[in-house]
Amino acid sequence: MKQEISGDLANTRCPEIIKILSLGKRTGRLYLTNGAETGNIYFSEGEVVHAQCATLTGIKAIHEIAVWTSGEYRFFVDEPADMQTIIMAVDEVLSEITGHLRQMDKITSLIPSSAAVYALEPDIREKEIQLKSIQWKVLAAIDGKTTIADIAQAIGFGVSDAMKIVYTLLRMGLLRDAAPHEIHNERRSIHLPETEFIISLKESLTRAVGPIAPYLIVETAGELGTDLLTDSTDQKAYLIETISGKIPNEKMSLKFLDDMTDWLKAEV
Amino acid sequence: MKGTIKDLLQIPGVQGYVVAQGKNIQIKLPAKHRFASAKDRLMHLYHDLSKDDKRPGNTVEILLDDTLMTAFLSGNTMLLVLSSLRVNQALLRMTGKLIIANLGKE
Repeated sequence: MKQEISGDLANTRCPEIIKILSLGKRTGRLYLTNGAETGNIYFSEGEVVHAQCATLTGIKAIHEIAVWTSGEYRFFVDEPADMQTIIMAVDEVLSEITGHLRQMDKITSLIPSSAAVYALEPDIREKEIQLKSIQWKVLAAIDGKTTIADIAQAIGFGVSDAMKIVYTLLRMGLLRDAAPHEIHNERRSIHLPETEFIISLKESLTRAVGPIAPYLIVETAGELGTDLLTDSTDQKAYLIETISGKIPNEKMSLKFLDDMTDWLKAEV
Repeated sequence: MKGTIKDLLQIPGVQGYVVAQGKNIQIKLPAKHRFASAKDRLMHLYHDLSKDDKRPGNTVEILLDDTLMTAFLSGNTMLLVLSSLRVNQALLRMTGKLIIANLGKE
């Protein structure tokens, strides 16, 4: 794995790196990090052919990565993409990013960050409101205690997309800021048992869905009436299978199944 | 992805499997198994299941006396696993889903 270019996103932003790699007609993988988040953009002879960030792929993944203003990047030469999710010239990709960043500037003037929490506005002025299904999905997840980032992960949206929708809902007067005491009092911290099984389950699920993994485990166990300390392989398998069905991205779901099937086989 | 037929056959209670794709069918069952020579009936089942595009999900479980038939469908491919009722059904389904995902790629 030959690493050629690396640096800090605080100094060089994603669009600039794309421009540099494109001009050099490079082939390989650009790996970017922003705290716990990671993303990959693949190049083939200077063209952007594939991108992936959490459960997102294609241009949506690039939108997600493009807003990162801190973190690191590394370019790995000759690590080609195993699929193509972007079929547009680099200039088009860059113009998409510029448009997206402009939109995000407008959005962040109203929503400070993806860690913002909103509650439903009980006093709606409009008599009639029409919503698109994606807006309804986000609205249904607004509960006065979950951050936009967590909502995005739970429903399988990119953070930027979720922020755009929240922005529209705010403009429609459907949301209000959640009061700080409201957030503090209602947030639950999840304490999972520290058994080998639960640790593996949590690790593997976190790779698939991020920080909501513990919540998903507890929620699913509750639905199935499964004791997380159970010794029964049948119950463990049923829990894993049910959780895998809740992972919105099919590839991630299969990867999770794959990891946990290995784990279960060692037990059977 | 590590889901293979070998993994499937290692699950206690699994008796064998059938893979059907288009006009081809491959049956791997013990010679004395009641379905070992039921090629035509299995082909019918494959056609019936693969035609039904309104079915939610791609896993079908059929309970037949003392045999559990679990069919995994993806595109025009079907993996049918025959097992006893005592099999760990969730593990079987998990492994089957991985195998059918792999078969779909081939």
